[in-house]
Amino acid sequence: MLFSARLFCGQLSPDDVGRSVLLAGWVDAFRDHGGLMFVHLRDRSGIVQIVFSPEIAPAEVCQRAAALHAEYCIAVRGEVRKRLAGTENPNIETGSIEVLVTELTVLAESDALPFAVSDKAMVAGAPSTSADNVAEDLRLQYRYLDLRRPSIRDNLILRHRIFQCVREFLDSRGFLEIETPVLTVSTPEGARDYLVPSRVHPRSFYALPQSPQIFKQLLMVGGMERYFQLARCFRDEDLRPNRQPEFTQLDIEASFIDEEFFYELIEELAVKMFAIGGIALRRPFPRMTYAEAIETTGTDRPDLRFGLRLVDVTDVFSQTNYSIFRQILNRGGCIKGINIQGQSGKLSKNVLQNEYAREIVPSFGAKGMTWMRAVDGSLESNIAQFFSRRELDSLRKRFDVADGDVLIMIADPSRAVVTSALGPLRLHLANRLGLVPADSYCPLWVTDFPLFEATEEGGVTSSHHPFTAPNRTDFDPNNREELLKLRSRAYDLVVNGEELGGGSIRINDRQLQRKIFAALGLTEEETRQKFGFFLRAFDFGAPPHGGLALGMDRAVSMILQTPSIREVIAFPKNRSAACPLTGAPSAVSREQLAEVGLLNLGGPDALPGTALKENRLDHLSWVSRIGVAEEERAMIEDVLAQADELALLASQKAGAEQPIYSVAPVVNRTRPGTECQRSERARTGELLAGAPAVKGNYFQVGSILE
Amino acid sequence: MDSPFFYRNPAAPAAPSGPLAGSKIAVQPNLSVAGWPADAGSNALADFKALEDATIVKRLRQAGASLCGATRMSEFGFGLRGSRAGEAIRSQAADAELVLDLMGESRLAAIRAAVCGFKPSYGLVSRLGLIGLIPSMESCGLLAETPATIRELLKAVAGQDCLDFSMPDDEPLDLAPQDIDPPKTTIGVVAEAQSGLTAEQEALFRSSLDQLKQAGFSLLEMSLPEFSLFSLVHRIVGSVEASSSAGRYDSVRYGPRAAGAKNWNEMYLLSRAAAFGPLLKSYLLQGALFQFERYEAYENACRIRARLLRQMQRLASRADCLVFPAVDGAAGGGPPLLADTYGQFAWTLFANVTGQPALYLPPPPDAAHAGLQLAGARLSDGRLLALGEHLVNLHPRGK
Repeated sequence: MLFSARLFCGQLSPDDVGRSVLLAGWVDAFRDHGGLMFVHLRDRSGIVQIVFSPEIAPAEVCQRAAALHAEYCIAVRGEVRKRLAGTENPNIETGSIEVLVTELTVLAESDALPFAVSDKAMVAGAPSTSADNVAEDLRLQYRYLDLRRPSIRDNLILRHRIFQCVREFLDSRGFLEIETPVLTVSTPEGARDYLVPSRVHPRSFYALPQSPQIFKQLLMVGGMERYFQLARCFRDEDLRPNRQPEFTQLDIEASFIDEEFFYELIEELAVKMFAIGGIALRRPFPRMTYAEAIETTGTDRPDLRFGLRLVDVTDVFSQTNYSIFRQILNRGGCIKGINIQGQSGKLSKNVLQNEYAREIVPSFGAKGMTWMRAVDGSLESNIAQFFSRRELDSLRKRFDVADGDVLIMIADPSRAVVTSALGPLRLHLANRLGLVPADSYCPLWVTDFPLFEATEEGGVTSSHHPFTAPNRTDFDPNNREELLKLRSRAYDLVVNGEELGGGSIRINDRQLQRKIFAALGLTEEETRQKFGFFLRAFDFGAPPHGGLALGMDRAVSMILQTPSIREVIAFPKNRSAACPLTGAPSAVSREQLAEVGLLNLGGPDALPGTALKENRLDHLSWVSRIGVAEEERAMIEDVLAQADELALLASQKAGAEQPIYSVAPVVNRTRPGTECQRSERARTGELLAGAPAVKGNYFQVGSILE
Repeated sequence: MDSPFFYRNPAAPAAPSGPLAGSKIAVQPNLSVAGWPADAGSNALADFKALEDATIVKRLRQAGASLCGATRMSEFGFGLRGSRAGEAIRSQAADAELVLDLMGESRLAAIRAAVCGFKPSYGLVSRLGLIGLIPSMESCGLLAETPATIRELLKAVAGQDCLDFSMPDDEPLDLAPQDIDPPKTTIGVVAEAQSGLTAEQEALFRSSLDQLKQAGFSLLEMSLPEFSLFSLVHRIVGSVEASSSAGRYDSVRYGPRAAGAKNWNEMYLLSRAAAFGPLLKSYLLQGALFQFERYEAYENACRIRARLLRQMQRLASRADCLVFPAVDGAAGGGPPLLADTYGQFAWTLFANVTGQPALYLPPPPDAAHAGLQLAGARLSDGRLLALGEHLVNLHPRGK
């Protein structure tokens, strides 16, 4: 069969009626109407209905058509015709036409499918099917089938569009796409590296890059002036639901520029990227200093889609008689709060006191919270009587209170505790009260980060990395107070509370770099050991430069509004950083380990990867602290083997429903009419009556003999 | 081991008054009665004496009942091995018994003793003072000669307990007697619940259904294709919860402590090695496997549980109640194995997964069928017991 004449299913239109066409693709779905056979034929471009009619196709073709199954790969020849009135299918792009088949070639048959690929109903009004509630690991194991599904296919097409848009735009601005090595050296900073053993240099390792940071700066020293790369980066970090061990970032670096260059460049780029998803971003993006972000939203990643800004009311209570506030203020503390406007209907006294004050706010790290509800022109609260009229009036003014508003305030001797509790509380309230508008995108730049953070040992450490330029250069590297006040020339791009990217202007002056290392308490010898070859490059006339990196998986996922970043990656790892398709990571043979010199590294028993795993039963016995007798082992091993089968069955049958942990969840654990009190039996010591050993009013256990 | 009692109350019943006046009730030693030994059938609590009365116990006493003792039970009530539940009623030593229902123990005990056995809706009865094992599935089951007695008992013990903060905020139930009009009462029959029955068991179940038809009820065939997954969910979720629950038996607060430990960890390992019998130990270690190594299996099971719950609710909403085979799937002798234990409860554990009430009714004397297991929507306990009363009254049992 010659494919040169092949047309694409999704591109046929009523203009093609009467034309003889050659199509190829997969059987998406079929209906057999007793001899008359309808098939949805799908290729990458879309779906068209093809018809096997005994009146037109030879009997032998109809016979073979009857044996077609889902996902058979076929080619057909036939004539395009308009569908009969009333049989159009609005579910597909080509729903007004169909192709009457005269020739059929089965290119490859398909086994029964592990899940349905088709999601387009064959007749108008029928519900569309979807593999969305197939267990994700099963989808990933058969990812090549999953990719045939239009939703995933569209995600990858748009991802490609976005990447193309990035390349074209940066090319038009004079940026060069330059690749940097993937086999490189382990860097002392940041997350854990993935290591690759070298065969030629036994017991030496390459590291996979966590980012091309060092190389992109060296490219600037090398005079490339403007560089970008859609770089694959690797980080061996702890598992998080939406994190991949390898990810793609747009890495950019430029020379002879300042911050404004990047604001303009990235804003324009972001507008173009989001436009591909039909999202219009308004320019210029607002800017907020780190300090303002923390003070008004409690986080350096502010979500500006809704209000609920934090307001400082410390001064309102400077003369207060309320002892808890007074003690906190005497210790130099602060009080901040949020006005939740018009939500007193949803935030009852019970909810505020028993849920927020007792459970939610303490889980965010604050010791407690104060609430007030504006009702009938006054502020009601369980502690309103402790405040003076003047204080209540000032609060009303400061928060601009109207009836129906709810005030929540947190006071603590530590300002950091107040803001870090109000930040998540702000998000919690917005989500619970439905204050986050759908389809809204609020990008902003966060700037002026602190250059250093205090360490517990009394020194300072870089907030970002030690090559970030400070806002001024005339500081004293030995004055800790002054160092902690320095700001960095770093900037983060934040959209809807998610950090999409960040970067900074770098230090190119070696004197200044020395001062920074001195501030960090590193000696010349230590800096040479840690950053040697890199610093040496700065001895040869490095240009002023800066850069930025954008997380592309996250950005694409946000633009396409997918529930996870795995939906926009062709072959992602699952939540456990494993690949169900290939089985990576996997054990390797002893021979392979011997070749790279990794056998017997730490003595005769240590065989990384192929080492005898600790017996599973021993491990479980240890973690649950239940000893197992020799004669019990065989029976329990059997039970664990069955448990593996149960786990497998559960993953196959899991579906997409939200897990439940109780059939009748308890909404409110606080019962009316109960009070916290110490048990009488605790006082008398009766509570200890069942204990095997008691000393005084305590349980007794043996001393630690280890 | 001749007596079904683990402990008999030496005190004479107090002067009774109240709706349960004069009735003798046996509990299990997993229910706290102040001063009584409460080992929950396990070495882990050997010699433990309860300090206070459980809420149920208080309420029974307030209603005038007298507690006659605690019957022998399986380890933490898991399965029926070592349990003598039901025998106290058979020997007329008690009028009713309380039996913890983790996967159907109260109903299977009722089958063995040929009495009525009832598992109330999840969360209907306070568990304060109950030494449980699987918090999201367990209910305190009630055994008695008639559904009417069970209804009276339930009336006395059900309802909010401000000290049990695991209780959902359900409205109080109406447990007054109700009239049943068979032609207007639909009973659902889940086809898939009959798979796995032997030919004989199936024939018995069919004749039970015939009995319902003869009594004038209309039967409605229903389908729950995933019925077999109830066992999967129970086995995974139950073992994880049991493994967490059993964490408290550490030989520090209570329970015997093994001698010879060199440090804390060894103390735990040795004491807990001796605390649990082989069946329970295998269950706890299976739970540990899901918690520590295959957590996704637990989450998946909870997803399936959500789906099964929804499907069961839909079936229950289409009928007044559902009827299931009442079968003790015991595998016979041999060592206690987890798989066999689950096989034994294959036809009862669904109600623990969904939290719905379930009632076992023994067959009328000389009847050629196996008795019935009725189940309804959660909190339809009153209706279910009324239906049971109606059915039992069709064939009054001669003593």
